[in-house]
Amino acid sequence: MSIQSMENPVTHIPNMTVGHVGESAVGKKEKVSVRGLNFFYGTNRALKNINVPLYEGMVTAFIGPSGCGKSTLLRILNRIYDLYPNQRAAGEVLLDGKNILAPGVDINLLRARVGMVFQKPTPFPMTIYENIAFGIRLYESLSKSELDGRVESSLRRAALWEEVKDKLNTSGLGLSGGQQQRLCIARTVAVKPEVILLDEPCSALDPISTAKIEELIDELKSDYTIAIVTHNMQQAARVSNFTAFMYLGELIEFDGTDKIFTTPSDRRTQDYITGRFG
Amino acid sequence: MCMSQTMSAANGLYARRRRRNGVVLTLSFAATAVGLGILVLILGTLVVESFRGLSMKVFTEMTPPPGADGGLLNPIMGSLIMTVLGVIMGTPIGILAGTYMAEYGRFNKITHVIRFINDILLSAPSIIIGLFIYELVVAPMGHFSGFAGALALAVLVIPVVVRTTEDMMNLVPKELREASSALGMPRASMIAHISYRAARAGMITGVLLAIARISGETAPLLFTALNNQFFSWNLNAPMASLPAVIFQFALSPYADWQRLAWVGAMIITFAVLALSILARALSGSRK
Amino acid sequence: MEPMEKRSVSDFAISNASVAQPVSASLAKALRRLRINDKVFHSITRAAAFFVLFLLSAIVVSLIIGAAPALQKFGFGFLTSERWNPVTENFGAFAPIYGTIITSLIAMVIAVPIGLLITLFLTELCPMWLRRPIGIAIELLAGIPSIIYGIWGLFVLAPFLQAHVQPFLIDLFGNVPVLSTLFAGPPYGIGILTSSLILAIMVLPFITSISRDVFEAVPPMLKEAAYGLGFTTWEVVRYVVLPYARVGVIGGVMLGLGRALGETMAVTFVIGNAHKVSSSLLAPGTTIASTIANEFTEAVGDIYTSSLIALGLLLFVITFTVLAAARFMLMKIERRQGCA
Repeated sequence: MSIQSMENPVTHIPNMTVGHVGESAVGKKEKVSVRGLNFFYGTNRALKNINVPLYEGMVTAFIGPSGCGKSTLLRILNRIYDLYPNQRAAGEVLLDGKNILAPGVDINLLRARVGMVFQKPTPFPMTIYENIAFGIRLYESLSKSELDGRVESSLRRAALWEEVKDKLNTSGLGLSGGQQQRLCIARTVAVKPEVILLDEPCSALDPISTAKIEELIDELKSDYTIAIVTHNMQQAARVSNFTAFMYLGELIEFDGTDKIFTTPSDRRTQDYITGRFG
Repeated sequence: MCMSQTMSAANGLYARRRRRNGVVLTLSFAATAVGLGILVLILGTLVVESFRGLSMKVFTEMTPPPGADGGLLNPIMGSLIMTVLGVIMGTPIGILAGTYMAEYGRFNKITHVIRFINDILLSAPSIIIGLFIYELVVAPMGHFSGFAGALALAVLVIPVVVRTTEDMMNLVPKELREASSALGMPRASMIAHISYRAARAGMITGVLLAIARISGETAPLLFTALNNQFFSWNLNAPMASLPAVIFQFALSPYADWQRLAWVGAMIITFAVLALSILARALSGSRK
Repeated sequence: MEPMEKRSVSDFAISNASVAQPVSASLAKALRRLRINDKVFHSITRAAAFFVLFLLSAIVVSLIIGAAPALQKFGFGFLTSERWNPVTENFGAFAPIYGTIITSLIAMVIAVPIGLLITLFLTELCPMWLRRPIGIAIELLAGIPSIIYGIWGLFVLAPFLQAHVQPFLIDLFGNVPVLSTLFAGPPYGIGILTSSLILAIMVLPFITSISRDVFEAVPPMLKEAAYGLGFTTWEVVRYVVLPYARVGVIGGVMLGLGRALGETMAVTFVIGNAHKVSSSLLAPGTTIASTIANEFTEAVGDIYTSSLIALGLLLFVITFTVLAAARFMLMKIERRQGCA
């Protein structure tokens, strides 16, 4: 097996502190269930027969070397891949038991229920206030004061309120990278989704901003079902309850995060988390 | 010995190469000087020639009969009216078509075809547009009209605006599109609130360029709006325009008409250049 | 613990396709409104886009209908006949076709080398801070309306050529075989050569701006490698830049040619409007566009008007061919860059 350089080598796996004591799947409700999922870029099969649950109120991390399909999987859960031609998903993704891949699904409603935060912060070219109010106005007609309240609570939720409360009417593009990313999280939270997808949300951020976002994820999971794709295994270990390891378009192993990082069942998982390949 | 011979031969060759290089570089310098010189010469002539005819009357009086005193009020107003109308009619179509090509139809085959056809329209001779509107409007109605002139200008506006709109909206990062879709924003809201906002400066540039293009156009007006000695708001009657008056007056044998033609030429040129510089400044500030 | 959870898919029958928890009535209404908005906007933009296609077809159809009477009457002879007689209503397009092609070709012969030299200056020699202003100045030449070139050509360039350049050319080539016929006859000032010069000035910025784009798209590595071998600036341009940028430059030249072929007002001022094919470049002539511009409003009789529209159709066919070729080449370049 070829050994590639890893972006964040994990050096002390055995001594690593794992943020959560072993979670068991028993008794948890499956918010999202991925069943027999295949995905194609044109004729190229990028995901092979994926089966994985996202448990309600839990954080599930997807790890694996780049190109393993973890981001692709995430982009199916809110059907963002629909924006592009020649991309096709086959199989089932059940959200509360209903298949979101079925024809006739209202994609916009789906995306309002399954929010997403991207790798690069993507504030809209408008004021901080508008960045958040915009998504809310799409689905709800609120009074000015209700709207103000929602904007504030969303910003508080994203731990950004104190930093921006005096400049809500300035452009969102004027914030720092970490602030922009929290703005994007606030924006996502503001439309009250049930599931939040985080696609390497910290890969463009400095360590301090990263720590803030991780803290945030921990707080958000009480209200939301969260899936996070990360190339940083320590991050996965810190923030998630469950971890899925993917490799070459296949889901190799899914289990409680502590289990995956201490006693993985599959040889390839072990190789990956111990830095044999990446 | 042998070595030094090769060196000197190489030096001779090298000297020849350097000479040739020098000649080409000098020529390129000269070519640039000629290009700039012509620009200066044209603008200089315009200023000098028009200075003699320039007075307040130009903006307050109608075009005179030969030998009399007068101004360019009716063609200036006519040009303004038809240009504004042309832009009002052409811009929305152009923006919507460009929007389709950059957003809904981004990955469709038909978009390639439309882009190709639009590029052809963009550089098609404007006199052909004049013939087209003549056939379409003037001949059936039986008379020339300012409305027909404005229509011809609108046809010229469309491809310019389509092109810049598509180009500018294609520059909107796909991350922004994904992020807004991920909020559950339907395409239409995304376009209206995100894409248009991000591409605004570029799209305004496109419209300015379109105005610059049509405000100097003569050929398509000759057999649509024709000309008019007087000013009228009536779009159903022939309407004067600066380019058409310049054409008529410059080729006339009367000195005062020719003088007015120069003044008109100066007004158009500086209006057009100001517009294109403004457009450039706008698109430059974006970067 | 089992590594993977597996459950049979059939346990979950899908009864309702919509993604739905109980959706509140107001949300459902908001959704419907958004969906309808989106559909409407989609249809409107698509209609606008198809309108562009429709526009070109409408132009072609209207030209064909308008030209039909003349083409029926004169047939193929319309292309080859030099007659242009409004009194006997006998029309042939040969003189304007000849004038259009010859003026455009001479214009390109003059403008292409000058345009490429300016590009060379702007991309290789010019100090950085001067590039933008000079580039903009050259492109401003493209912004000057064509009627301005016309009036300038008529009152400034033509008299100058008549007084200083043409007599000199006539004397110079008077005894040289071929050239003496090309430069024969009295110096009118206006005529084929003057039109070509004006056209050359007008297409110059097109050639410069497109070749500048393609020159600048040459990977710096290639140029650096060549300079590293000891190439002179000219050699780098000649052996590295030009071969790399060839297709794009040709595309730019064709675009300029399309422009020159259809240029109307500037030429109308200075060509002299004579319906004859003269062997001398100093003689007056006519082009398709200037014939239409000059005569259309005064044309009486259906055949006269129809003949002028037939000229327009001809011009459209010629420019369409040239422009289509140009666009194909430029698209090829864009695709290459898109892949890189």
